[in-house]
Amino acid sequence: MIRNRRENCRPIEILMVEDNPGDVRLTLEALKEGKVRNNLYAVADGEEALDYLHRRGKYADVTRPDLILLDLNLPKKTGREVLADIKEDPDLRRIPVVILTVSKAEQDILKSYNLHANCYITKPVDLEQFIEVVKSIEDFWLTVVMLPPR
Amino acid sequence: MDANLAKILSALLQCTAVALQFTAAYCAFRLIRVTAKTASWVLISVALCVMAVRRAVSLGRLLWGDSPPDLWDDAIAVVISVLMIAGVLAIPPLFATIRQASEALRRHRDELEVQVAERTEELRETNARLSVELEEKRRAEMQLAQYARELASSNKELEEFAYVASHDLQEPLRMVASFTQLLAKRYQGKLDADADEFIGFAVDGARRMQQLINDLLAFSRVGTRGKPFAPTDCNVVLEYALANLGPALEESGAVVSHDPLPTVPADEVQLLQLFQNLMANAIKFHGPGPPRIQISAARQGPDWVFTIRDNGIGIAPGHQERIFNIFQRLHTRAEYPGTGLGLALCKKIVERHRGRIWVESETGKGSTFYFSIPGGKEP
Repeated sequence: MIRNRRENCRPIEILMVEDNPGDVRLTLEALKEGKVRNNLYAVADGEEALDYLHRRGKYADVTRPDLILLDLNLPKKTGREVLADIKEDPDLRRIPVVILTVSKAEQDILKSYNLHANCYITKPVDLEQFIEVVKSIEDFWLTVVMLPPR
Repeated sequence: MDANLAKILSALLQCTAVALQFTAAYCAFRLIRVTAKTASWVLISVALCVMAVRRAVSLGRLLWGDSPPDLWDDAIAVVISVLMIAGVLAIPPLFATIRQASEALRRHRDELEVQVAERTEELRETNARLSVELEEKRRAEMQLAQYARELASSNKELEEFAYVASHDLQEPLRMVASFTQLLAKRYQGKLDADADEFIGFAVDGARRMQQLINDLLAFSRVGTRGKPFAPTDCNVVLEYALANLGPALEESGAVVSHDPLPTVPADEVQLLQLFQNLMANAIKFHGPGPPRIQISAARQGPDWVFTIRDNGIGIAPGHQERIFNIFQRLHTRAEYPGTGLGLALCKKIVERHRGRIWVESETGKGSTFYFSIPGGKEP
């Protein structure tokens, strides 16, 4: 498999939009076992996520993320609304969005892809499988795939 | 004949005739009372009187006039008078008979009317009773239908509740299970022995809870997510089940043989669960040697009866009904893993397909599980 070496080897910025702090922590732990240096930043609802992406208010100085992990069950704005907003914005739509959620429902999958989600992943119930999934996300999106330039 | 003798004889005969005719007239008159037919008897009476008067006049003419005696005529007059009076006298008995007969008829008619009234009353009573019974029966049927509706609605609510509860329990359970496992992973051996043991129990508990909830979800989905029946080739379903059980079959060295199986109307996914569960049990509860499983099917009336025979540890007769109940287990967790839902799930699936499931077995001599599915064609 072709692994792309990054020119400046800076860490990858990942934004996780997830209201369950347990899942955020599990993802962090799983990413620690990965190969690529990365910074995970988490926000707990959809409005915070869009503020972060547009660098509004307290997020004025953040770096734009290279990858977004998005849960569908969010308070205030739903994951689907956040996805729609991201993919409609000409500046933000290039950022790959990985839907990482508990639902297996076909209609959720269909609607997400219709809104141009880059891929849809159902969170495994088992810890080891969860770790495997996060590691494979990292492996695929951060080493196999060419990400858009900043 | 001597003229005087003839005269005397004529006079006698005519007297007799007059007397008889007046008597007849009188009797006829009296018949009015007996028969109530006034006009007839008055006419006859008058006629008889007229006859008598005429005869009396004739007698007068004989005695004080010059008429010659006509003995022949007189004799005939007497005969006629006798006949007349006999005829008139015969009427009352006749009428008596007629009256008796009509009395009897009237009495009979009255009796019949009474009987008819009685029967009609009986019928009315019976009718009233029947319509009361009918009304009760209708009310009972409506109530039964109402209970059936309430039961169906309650059942549906319970199934939906079970589904939602299980579904929502998974999230916090995932947190408990994942973090206890993470704890075990990171700190096993780094804290003291007690901590290891505690973590071990926590992890085990969480894992069992997850398994239980998965099984409960599957159980409640039989009703809520059942698909409509379609012709299902059981050979294909069996192949899928064997594929799903691949690792378990290999590990145990199990050998599975089967006869050609029929096509039956069924929910394909549920039939797969059924076959898979039964074969998984056969593998799990194996005896000293590697498991041998034989699957066949035979027609019994309108049903297909499937047979799954194994050479495992068997089931004592006293337990052969219990095992199909929810949460019933025959062994401790240390002996065999399991949640006690596998056979309950099989039973629910079979019953959704309107069949029956049962087992024949003896301890130590393997088990044969049977289940019936109605309908279907030859393999």
